[in-house]
Amino acid sequence: MADEIRRLSDDLARDPSSLVFMPLADALRRAGQLDVAMRVALRGLDRHPYVADAHDVLARIHADRGDLEQAADEWEMALRLDPTHAQASLGLGFVDFRRGNLESAERRLSAAGDADMPGVATALAHVRAALGSRSGNGATHDPVAPNVASMPPVAEPRMPPPPMPEIARLAIPEIPAPQPARAKQLFTTALDGAEQNALLVDADGLVLAGMYTDPTGTDVAEVVAAELAGVSSEAERAMRHLGLGAWTSLLVEADEAVVAMTPAPLGSLLVVASSRETPVGLVRLLLDRALTRARDWLARVS
Amino acid sequence: MKKTPYAELLAMLSRHRGVVGSFVVSERDGLAVDSNVQIGVHSDAVAALAASLHRKARLACGAAGSGTVTFLRLDAERGGICAAGRDDLVLVTISEARANLGLLRVEMMRAAKALT
Repeated sequence: MADEIRRLSDDLARDPSSLVFMPLADALRRAGQLDVAMRVALRGLDRHPYVADAHDVLARIHADRGDLEQAADEWEMALRLDPTHAQASLGLGFVDFRRGNLESAERRLSAAGDADMPGVATALAHVRAALGSRSGNGATHDPVAPNVASMPPVAEPRMPPPPMPEIARLAIPEIPAPQPARAKQLFTTALDGAEQNALLVDADGLVLAGMYTDPTGTDVAEVVAAELAGVSSEAERAMRHLGLGAWTSLLVEADEAVVAMTPAPLGSLLVVASSRETPVGLVRLLLDRALTRARDWLARVS
Repeated sequence: MKKTPYAELLAMLSRHRGVVGSFVVSERDGLAVDSNVQIGVHSDAVAALAASLHRKARLACGAAGSGTVTFLRLDAERGGICAAGRDDLVLVTISEARANLGLLRVEMMRAAKALT
């Protein structure tokens, strides 16, 4: 497993735009490195948002983390992109089963189609047994407790999937619009902890992506963005007056936070904030990381 | 011209390696209260812009519950601006890339406490 991960990591390093992030994320997931797997999958999805298999991989990671809601979202997205995606049907069947929706689970698993696919027959048999038990004796069936482990959340991965040809991408009937939830989470994996915030603000002080919460957890993204409207142009003008070249960063130290900003594409401003205890050098590093993410994202949505 | 209480402070900051100017500016209206700058530096425009940047940073940090701004540094390719404020007054320095920013930061934060 370690060799496989190393080999896939090398492959991805050689070609960051390839689809090898999918088998890599899945290998990391199977090795139990869920946080790293999540980062790899999200980074890959930034580049390949319309690849159903990539959403399937991310869904499996969410499922392994116990976040069934997010897992279901990703599997549903995979099905929207590819209505015949058997792994996604199987995954949604698993989620339904865990939620106690046995009829729906049965439908989903049947829709997965290939009963020979590893795990499908077992899962179907288990769900049907649970359904029979419910209708037979009238006893309330606990959908979670019995032998859930015997029902694989998804079948063994069919990795790596073939690269998606350009023609297939064109054939997608409806390109999904940018997802607000994804824009909000854009920098989550680029940061290093929960006490950090990252926000992408346009030239008018409107939030483009990211989140900003105050120490009480209140969302203050919009008001912070509004207060920072015009920072980029003022910094640029100041440096022009002084002949010191283009501005590269603005670092603000406050009693409770260190806030770093840098100009981003399309006249936007990227803001990264961290607690006062965070070393300034680390904040700048996080800013660089978030800037890469912002550039990729803006290039895609603009 | 009559000396202000900040003349000595500004002269001291301007003696730092790489510092080409320093001034005290009102954050409210962006007007320089006193300055010590090398010839050719557009101190009035820069003072107003530095004051505005400090104000925006202060308001944003206030909105985010991050407390008072203690120091601000704007970096550019060949130098930058540092600012430290107290109440309505902001102490600003303009420096080239060769300046010792760590030392300048300590001196400015100490000096800003004396601004009244």
